[in-house]
Amino acid sequence: MRKVTSYLVTFLLANVLAISAFSQNVTISGNVRNGSTKEGAGAVSVTIKGSESGTFTDDKGNFKLSVKSLPVTLLISSVGYELQEVTVSKASELVQVEFKSSSSLGQEVVVSASRVPQKILESPVSIERISAATIRNSPAASFYDAVLTLKGVDITTSSLTFKTPTTRGFNSSGNTRFNQLVDGMDNQAPGLNFSVGAIIGLSELDVDNMELLSGASSALYGPGGMNGTLLMTSKNPFKYQGFSFLVKEGMMHTDGRQRPISPYHNWNVRWAKKIGEKFAIKINAELIQAKDWQGADYRDYNRAATGGNVKAGSRATDPNYDGINVYGDETTVEIRSAVLNAIGASAAPFLKNFIDTLNHGAAINVSRTGYTEKEVTNPNTVNFKLGGSLHYKLNTFTEAVLAAYWGTGNTVYTGSERYSLKDFKMGQYKLELNSRYWSLRAYTTQENAGESYNTTVATRLLNESWRASGGATGWFSGYSQNYLAQRLLGLTDSAAHALARAAMDVGRPLATSSQFRNSFDSLRKRPISLGGALLLDKSDLYSLDGSYNFSHLSSKLGGVEVLVGGNYRQYVLNSEGTLFADSAGRININEYGGFVQLSRHIFERVKLTASGRYDKNQNFDGRFTPRVTAVIKLAENNNVRLSYQTAYRFPSNQQQFINLSIGSNVRLIGGNNSFRTFFNFAGKPLYDFESLRKGVISGYTSVDLKPESLSSFEAGYKGLLLEGKLLIDMYGYFGQYKDFLGRRVMVQSLTGAPIVLADTANGYRYSLPVNSSDKVKTYGFGLSVDYRLPWNFTIGANIASDILKDVPANFVAYFNSPKYKGNVTIGNSGFGPAKRLGFNVAYRYQGAFLYQGDFATGNLPVVQTLDAQFSVKLPSTKSVIKIGANNLLNQYYYNAVGNSQVGGLYYLSFGYNIY
Amino acid sequence: MKYSIKRIKITLLLAFSAMMILSSCNKSLEQFSGPAYVAPAGLALGDAIAAIPTDSLYYKLIVRGGLLASINNKATTFTMFVPDNIAMRSFIDLISGGATIGFTDPQYVGFINTAISASSAGSIVSYNMIPQSITMSSVPGTFPNWVYPTNLNPTSGAGFNPLVRLTTSPSTRNGNWVNNVPLSAVNMAAANGIIHTAAAVPVPPSKVLWQRIASDPDLTIFTAAISRADSGVAPVSSASLIWALSNFGPNLNVFAPSNLAFKQLISALTGGAIPVIAPDAVFIGFLGSNNVNTLTVKFIVVYHLMGARAFTNNFPTTPTSYPTLLNGGIPAHPGVSLTVTFTGGVVTAATVKGVGNLSASNIAINPFPDPFGTSDQHFINGTLHKINQVLLPQ
Repeated sequence: MRKVTSYLVTFLLANVLAISAFSQNVTISGNVRNGSTKEGAGAVSVTIKGSESGTFTDDKGNFKLSVKSLPVTLLISSVGYELQEVTVSKASELVQVEFKSSSSLGQEVVVSASRVPQKILESPVSIERISAATIRNSPAASFYDAVLTLKGVDITTSSLTFKTPTTRGFNSSGNTRFNQLVDGMDNQAPGLNFSVGAIIGLSELDVDNMELLSGASSALYGPGGMNGTLLMTSKNPFKYQGFSFLVKEGMMHTDGRQRPISPYHNWNVRWAKKIGEKFAIKINAELIQAKDWQGADYRDYNRAATGGNVKAGSRATDPNYDGINVYGDETTVEIRSAVLNAIGASAAPFLKNFIDTLNHGAAINVSRTGYTEKEVTNPNTVNFKLGGSLHYKLNTFTEAVLAAYWGTGNTVYTGSERYSLKDFKMGQYKLELNSRYWSLRAYTTQENAGESYNTTVATRLLNESWRASGGATGWFSGYSQNYLAQRLLGLTDSAAHALARAAMDVGRPLATSSQFRNSFDSLRKRPISLGGALLLDKSDLYSLDGSYNFSHLSSKLGGVEVLVGGNYRQYVLNSEGTLFADSAGRININEYGGFVQLSRHIFERVKLTASGRYDKNQNFDGRFTPRVTAVIKLAENNNVRLSYQTAYRFPSNQQQFINLSIGSNVRLIGGNNSFRTFFNFAGKPLYDFESLRKGVISGYTSVDLKPESLSSFEAGYKGLLLEGKLLIDMYGYFGQYKDFLGRRVMVQSLTGAPIVLADTANGYRYSLPVNSSDKVKTYGFGLSVDYRLPWNFTIGANIASDILKDVPANFVAYFNSPKYKGNVTIGNSGFGPAKRLGFNVAYRYQGAFLYQGDFATGNLPVVQTLDAQFSVKLPSTKSVIKIGANNLLNQYYYNAVGNSQVGGLYYLSFGYNIY
Repeated sequence: MKYSIKRIKITLLLAFSAMMILSSCNKSLEQFSGPAYVAPAGLALGDAIAAIPTDSLYYKLIVRGGLLASINNKATTFTMFVPDNIAMRSFIDLISGGATIGFTDPQYVGFINTAISASSAGSIVSYNMIPQSITMSSVPGTFPNWVYPTNLNPTSGAGFNPLVRLTTSPSTRNGNWVNNVPLSAVNMAAANGIIHTAAAVPVPPSKVLWQRIASDPDLTIFTAAISRADSGVAPVSSASLIWALSNFGPNLNVFAPSNLAFKQLISALTGGAIPVIAPDAVFIGFLGSNNVNTLTVKFIVVYHLMGARAFTNNFPTTPTSYPTLLNGGIPAHPGVSLTVTFTGGVVTAATVKGVGNLSASNIAINPFPDPFGTSDQHFINGTLHKINQVLLPQ
């Protein structure tokens, strides 16, 4: 090991310290501007033909470049523009270039499909790209939302700033099957294993591009990414320089349905500077502040287990009402057995026969009175992101990057409950070396949940602190006696319940009272492990990864291009017993892995790529995941792609170690062996809850969790037709999950006595992760069409479908994807006088589907949204004024049961030096 | 031409945009309709009773008691036992000491409105109202009787307790009954409840068992026996028999041996040393002496008590054993054997037999209300039947 390390160090030093001794003594300068608008074109690549030397234009379109001698031919290129060649013979001559927009679609270059740059049309797997220009023209208020317009993307909106995209199903607020990488760093919260999206990471002005890989991608990007990977890349300060800012001011809640009309603020600032030829720096920040969308689903919910359902009823009609976005009402008691029978048995035996007749002898379940989400969550959503990086070119080919991304804010996240993330902080810090053939990256993710709390737990505890539920003088005892008294007066059941509740809630603190606030604040700031609701997650991730591209040696390897890489990760779970079973100390989880990719043209028109990856998690056996792809060139810019991919994921940290009571006598636990001992499953065995509810006693024997894997076949076509004006991309896939990970609810006798049917109510319930022994199948397709119309108008449409089959009974798969979804976008990035005007209209359709979540499960109706923007460019100041709307028609929708219901957001923005 | 094609394309584009806008309306959340409250249709209880010609006198009693509005409140649900006019006339004749015999109905109404206080009228009506719609088919035919709270709350003022209710005992054993009153018609539906027609007026009890036992001159020896059984027990304790017989809450049936019954037993036990004709005080003294131990007396006394009120009309028609309070100490004890005989739908004989008795003890059939009757005597905390033998548990 030591020998390997020393070789590695020697190798790095040889590369890093081999500072080039170029003698470049002629400096040429020039300016590139947009031929249509005459504005300076920034971030345009200027390279010397026949070499790898080059530079970028600054924000005004100017560039300087040192060359050995003249004449030279400069290649001037940028995505969306035609490549231009300019020959420079005199150093004193100012090079003037006017860019012409390219009329051809599909010219982008992507990196993530094979971890090497290649034209998107030649990608071996399904990939889509969003460039900074796309973001500029997008009507989305947040750059992150632009992902939604890509085909096959589902999104779960927990709140204004907490959105989780995915592809090919399994969407949820915490999606562990979809990776998100920000400048190569996994954007997941270490404790929870799912990506936090745009809460930390890039600010809008610093986004260079986003690449979306649909489908399995473990072979290149490691565990996770079963369903896809989103890679976000920031702007390099060497390329994108200058000061720019973007101010969006908007309004939400315009109809007053959830709150009074309120402002939306989104301010971005970025500054980047190249200092000399070797050093560059950038700093950027973004602040979002608004009154958040609310979880305002007050329908009655049957929270019997994780597979619950929405039911008929309201607080007025159901004494056991449990509103989806009402908290505190999860505390429920069957008052017949808990209180009334005791009254009939001893205190008032003359009432026994009467009590027996109440509710026709059936159970009388009653819940505490709850508070709405609006009353227990902070209405202010704030997201502040601060990022920066230092870049130093060690030589012509090697660049060192020291970068930091930090974010904080308040938002709402949906897990097993709704969590109010308050003063949540997460930072990612990396040191990276990028060379022509290799890269090495070390980074850490530091998470701090701040004052985040579980709204359900906090509110239930608030109720208890005001008036305890149990005991002879408790809320339920008093309620029962009042109910009984009202029934004796001949009142109907519902009227008796209503009056009993009213009697017991006399003096109940209003959410606006100081009594409520003081008590609630006290509880939400007390850790869960100490009887409060505070989540103390300070989990961290440490990662080291690197790769080497041997493509320059391909001629010596028979034309085979070789890429190798590896990584090591350590998760440090630290929730102090508030989320994980870590009250005794932190839990460390180590993972490592490596990959090899070989690619070669076997015929002129066929390129084969094979890759394989091996990963090992300390708690699970190692896994090898292969990928084989073929790209068949049918004609120029027309390619068919075929792939067989495998992907897998180790059970997430939550699935291994969570230990969280979620109310209604259900505890979410992990699959780690230690839980079996702790909860004495040997002495008090588990039984399948759903079977028991149906009267069938079905035992369950705990088995070790295994990683879940997916084998996927895919065929696709991407091509340009009609002289480059029509871009078609389509794919179809079939996949099969093995050892599919889901959850099942088990029940345990409290006493260890043989299980009986009554234990569905009396026993203790566990929701635990299990592997399905059945092979769950998934298949689907996607189709997109983009067409360039006259006068720079463009229209694009896409449709996708994802289906999951053969899910075992009583198995909660959380597939959460509609059968069909699609987008239509119409836009023009430049029309009218001097092509200063622009617009974009985006329509999205999402079919109805059954949403399954630990928090709530229910049918989601069809969702249709319309976003639009109209912009005016001011070339003299490189500014853009944009007026836009998300959900223009203010048609409230939600895409997960219990999540925020999203209405219209209308904004006016001013961007300076946007490119 | 080329320009026109472009224009057509752009026009189509704009039309498509308009279509997108128009179609972007979302459905509201899936809703599940719950059981909405619908005010019941038809006549409310009070109006329904008013519409029955044969119940007109009871309707006047309802009005007199000030309960018409609450009975007619369709937001409440009650079951009412409504004595018909024949029953009402008999009742009025009884409480008037016969002064109203021969009255016309208007005169009876006049009596109701003048001679019966509003509170008394209200108490009677409240006693014959029970919450919820209870059809007789839902009343079990089990024995001992079902005990069901009425609308009559005996507490008031500072001691008011909304859960306290006098109880009544509807039953379907040997016919349809409320207490020992036969129901001549049942299950007439009103908008907010059910009406059962009673052949007599069920009168709310106003005394507790102990008041009858301790004051009945024919039960002085039984009273002494209970006192002896209670010796050593704090009188305010729930373990005290006297406490149980004196308070609201317990629900008992007492087979009360007459003095003669005790005299015959004690005389026999003493081999005639104490003759049957001896004064009551001699037998009372015997029970208080060391000639018998307390536990024996207690065993015998509790053998005369059942843990639920029992009207003779609900006794089994073939001898059947039921537990007594003795089973609290001796669970396996077979209890007492009960039987009843009906003639023409009326109880004409009822017996109770102890395990140690050679023959069954007869209940003196006389259901006339306390203090005059000897069977089915109804009290706040139970029923009492006089018997002619002391029941022997072994």
